[in-house]
Amino acid sequence: MNHYTCFVRLNKHNLLLHLYTRKTLWGAKVTRQQALGGKPLQVLEKIRQNLERLNEKMEIMIELQKRDRKGSQLLPDAPLDVMTLLSMPDHLRKTAMTVCRLGRATANEVAEQTHRARAVESSYLNQLVIMGHLKKERVGRKAYFYVEKESEG
Amino acid sequence: MIFLGKIMAVHSYKGGTGKTLVSVNLAASFAKHNKKVCLMDLDFRAPSLATFFRSEKVECWLNDYLNGTCKIDRVLIDLRHRINGGGELFVGLSNPSTEAMREMSAKDRKWEMRALGRLLALRNSLLNDKSFDYLIFDTSPGLQYSSINAIVAADLVIVATTFDRSDVEGTKRMLRELYDLFEKKTGIVVNKVLYDVSLKSGKNDLQNKMKEMYQVPVISIIPCFCDVSRAEGASIFTQEKPEHPFAKIVDEMADRIETNDLM
Repeated sequence: MNHYTCFVRLNKHNLLLHLYTRKTLWGAKVTRQQALGGKPLQVLEKIRQNLERLNEKMEIMIELQKRDRKGSQLLPDAPLDVMTLLSMPDHLRKTAMTVCRLGRATANEVAEQTHRARAVESSYLNQLVIMGHLKKERVGRKAYFYVEKESEG
Repeated sequence: MIFLGKIMAVHSYKGGTGKTLVSVNLAASFAKHNKKVCLMDLDFRAPSLATFFRSEKVECWLNDYLNGTCKIDRVLIDLRHRINGGGELFVGLSNPSTEAMREMSAKDRKWEMRALGRLLALRNSLLNDKSFDYLIFDTSPGLQYSSINAIVAADLVIVATTFDRSDVEGTKRMLRELYDLFEKKTGIVVNKVLYDVSLKSGKNDLQNKMKEMYQVPVISIIPCFCDVSRAEGASIFTQEKPEHPFAKIVDEMADRIETNDLM
């Protein structure tokens, strides 16, 4: 009998997908292609996309939980001023500054500038939205992030 | 030629390091070499350019531009008549009245954020639309909102420093904890150095020592010139005395910035 195992590891910054094949009882190796019905790349891509969405949602939940623990309200309009930028953790500052520079950007566009993974930038951008520093607007399938218009002057 | 940047912020950890001296004379040097330059006084707590250019008629202050009550065109004062050379020099002054200084120090975070937006907008309105070659921001020392806004809006931060021990320590901290955090290109200008300008070997040793100490490029080393102190900041020194060694040092600094040849 085939013994096929799929491990998915999800952490804060990376989405890692490990597929393992193990030998059958008869010693014949089952390839990944056979296991995934002949379309392994499409299936993997679908899994990756789902995991990215899941990761984004988890980041939002984590951020909301942190704020609940502190007993504070969400800040709908927290100004993204230079002192706030200075006090931010390095990873969020990099993302916030890139949006400031670009004016309005998708996670993909930010990732191109920062040379980090799109999924990582997506989670940081969503954290900045929750913290009230950025606004998010969906246009079709794309999500755009920007600094609040009134604040830009 | 690799272009380093068109917007420069001249900043320091402590006061009295020569920010205004460097800003004014660097701007004049660029203008002398056929560049179109705008010098702006962003030291709202202790404005100094208003004294430098007190004879000029002011329609609006930079304070008004950042408040959103006037356009940048009405702030800029044309100083072409004070420049020897083919370029253009404009200046934007901050209001030196006590009332204006008090008002500026009481601004909140949202205002500072809008002010940053207006400084960033100068790239379009002055560099792109009005074809300025350089904008030079003269800033307040230390960690002030207006200075950090200027640093964020700039392409290159010129840090003026001296051999004063607290200045050296503070400058090192700012390099690590301010300019680096905003990923800014930074260059050091060491001012008021006590050595003989004619001793070339001493200068090179000092440059290497400074570079090693701060771990950033050294744009210039300026000896302590009594003539400069004696001028009391009443005029653009390098325009008054173009043959003075200080004028040559400033010209070299301008050339180095333009050609990205930092030491």
